[in-house]
Amino acid sequence: MAAKNIKNLNQNMEKIFYPESVAIVGANKVPGTVPHDIIHNILKADFQGIVYPVSPREKFIAGAKAYKYIIDIEDPVDLAIIVFPSSVCDLALEQCGKKGVKSAIIISAGFKEIGEKGREREQKLLEIADKYDMNFIGPNCLGVINTDPKKSLNASFARQMPEEGNIGFLSQSGALCTAVLDYAQAKHIGFSKFISFGNKADINEIDLLNYLKDDPKTEVILIYLEEISNGRALMETARNIIAETGKPILALKAGRTSEGASAAASHTGSLAGSDEVTSGALKQAGIIRCDNIEEMFNKAIAMAYQPMPKSNRVAIITNAGGPGVLTTDAAISEGLELANFSDQTTAVLKKSLPRTANIKNPVDVIGDARAERYKVALSQALKDVNVDGAFVILTPQSMTDIEDTAQEVARVAEQYDKPIYASFMGEAEVSEGVDILQRNKIPHYQLPESMCRAFATAYNYTTHKQKELDRSELYEDVDKEKAQKILDQAKSEGRKVLTEYEADKVLETYRLPLPQRELAKSADEAVEIAEEIGFPVAMKIQSEDITHKFDIKGVVLDINSTDEVKQAYEKIMENVKSNKPDAKINGILVEEMIPEGEEVILGIHQDSYFGPSIMYGMGGIFVETFKDVSFRVAPLDRETAENMIEETSSAPLLHGARGISERDIDALINALIRLSQLATDCPDIQELDINPMIVLEKGQGCYVADASISL
Amino acid sequence: MDKQELKKRVKEVIARVLEIDENEVSDDDNFIFDLGADSAQSIELVAGFEEEFDIEMDEDRALEVQNVSDAVNFIAEYVD
Repeated sequence: MAAKNIKNLNQNMEKIFYPESVAIVGANKVPGTVPHDIIHNILKADFQGIVYPVSPREKFIAGAKAYKYIIDIEDPVDLAIIVFPSSVCDLALEQCGKKGVKSAIIISAGFKEIGEKGREREQKLLEIADKYDMNFIGPNCLGVINTDPKKSLNASFARQMPEEGNIGFLSQSGALCTAVLDYAQAKHIGFSKFISFGNKADINEIDLLNYLKDDPKTEVILIYLEEISNGRALMETARNIIAETGKPILALKAGRTSEGASAAASHTGSLAGSDEVTSGALKQAGIIRCDNIEEMFNKAIAMAYQPMPKSNRVAIITNAGGPGVLTTDAAISEGLELANFSDQTTAVLKKSLPRTANIKNPVDVIGDARAERYKVALSQALKDVNVDGAFVILTPQSMTDIEDTAQEVARVAEQYDKPIYASFMGEAEVSEGVDILQRNKIPHYQLPESMCRAFATAYNYTTHKQKELDRSELYEDVDKEKAQKILDQAKSEGRKVLTEYEADKVLETYRLPLPQRELAKSADEAVEIAEEIGFPVAMKIQSEDITHKFDIKGVVLDINSTDEVKQAYEKIMENVKSNKPDAKINGILVEEMIPEGEEVILGIHQDSYFGPSIMYGMGGIFVETFKDVSFRVAPLDRETAENMIEETSSAPLLHGARGISERDIDALINALIRLSQLATDCPDIQELDINPMIVLEKGQGCYVADASISL
Repeated sequence: MDKQELKKRVKEVIARVLEIDENEVSDDDNFIFDLGADSAQSIELVAGFEEEFDIEMDEDRALEVQNVSDAVNFIAEYVD
């Protein structure tokens, strides 16, 4: 299949969303069927263009003349919506091509999602599209909605047309689309474009993200994905969108389970369910990952409705003490600050509010507060230069005028370029007030916790400057050829696992810090090597058949004399013979004993979506128990490497917690960057573990204590 | 049975099931794309052919048959 012609693609996608004329190919008059509902949706939405039903048997559909074939239509057709059964979609698309139609939406199911037969059908569609320079969305999708009143196109079989808005929504799942539309309708959440892309045989999420990037009606992008077409392209596209337009991208990615990971041989492999890498990669690209629809919309409406916060200093206005405290707790735990009001604000609040009110932040306008009191407190708070956002909390007490307060909040919001979010706590009594807030684009949250989280997300987004990978931070003193030679040697011998000695040699080519060491083939050789290195030393079994040397008692540490070297040699050999009798032994590695330090793990993993990825985490024998790890896609720059370290819970240990001296984080960052270069340069490495890497005190460096590489 | 006779009876069944004029059915017509059969009618067509020719066809294969000529050839396997 030829590469996509971007110019054609852009023109063809524009015709999907802004067609002058639409043909529904395979239309019928049977209520309750997809063809019937699509044509009625288009008409009901008051589509600004011409509609042509194409039906083999009907003469008229919904009052419009029906054509037997699309080629029978005399005038040009911009968009074909194909709703025939999958077995004849190719015939329909072929006719569209002959007619000169360049854009199509193929709604029909029965393609690659059903297996080989369907895959063949899908391939045929691609060949036809290629032949006629066409592009299509689908198959197996719900369709497309454009709420722009200039076009007002509901080319879907959704139950309703959503309200107009500035959120662009992309979904691989059609069924999820219908649930999202229903959810959004109840909360008056509007959309600019609503796109179900199904099997994404031709137009995929990257193409659609690029379309939404340039769509002036879209200010926030949401995407639901089940599988990623091209992880690296997704990251690059997202980075471009964020850098060039500032449009936030929020993603809901299904598949958080890690099936298959347990079969992996290395620690990195077992910790890297593709989802962990996906999370790291999305973060790296600046995409905000959400766990569920509610969280996604909680965050999306914050960014779509209100100005972005200029700082994390917020004011809380509440009519009840308890909820005020809850909101304060939530705000602090999300990294927000309660603004210190200026003297002027305090003075005005003191004058305007009852004596019993709390005029400090959080401001308690107390239980009998009417709308006017909320208005005064909120306006004064927003006027204050120390405040960059406000939370309005309301509990439905007998004196509370809920709807008037909601109206007042909306009016105040119009006067200030600062974000206002609200939480009218409860359900039944506050529902009309909530409705007013939602219609007026004041983000509303049932729980103050969700509200604070949404604010923190918006704030973090504004402070996060998306940037390209800083290639100047990559090292030039690495020896790719030498590393590849060692890997090639193992491959030529049909080996999937390198010995530790070989693994060390590979790491050496990328100048990862290794202790002095040499391979001994006998106890006498071991003594010679130990004397040359100097005591204390460590000794480790070397065999491609043994990945976890500690498990079979193949390691002895802290050896201080030649006698101990001899004893250790014999002991290790005995242990291996009894615990792993079939293992082919290459010798015993005698190694400089690394001083005590913090144990961390570094790893390489080949991810199915994103390719070479890097893991960092708390190391040692508990790595899989605590799973305190982070992932990013290789290569890394300093900032990314630092973020990886800092997002683990064990990061404070490196900074010197509880009397432990500060560790050499700079050396660790360097090691992560070097390792990421190795992962990028040598994709033959399927999995690599450095476990542990010992991080010494600041200025003392870090050392690879043990490493394994699988091909 | 003579192929012409077989084709004539196949077209009669198609016209009856799809409620169209027999003269509107040509040899290359696709049941769905050209004649507008829906999924229920596709199953009815298979049942109609079985009844007309007193045969029992492999249903999966029968449903794969998409046009008049192919239907004639397929049914001929059972009738002869």
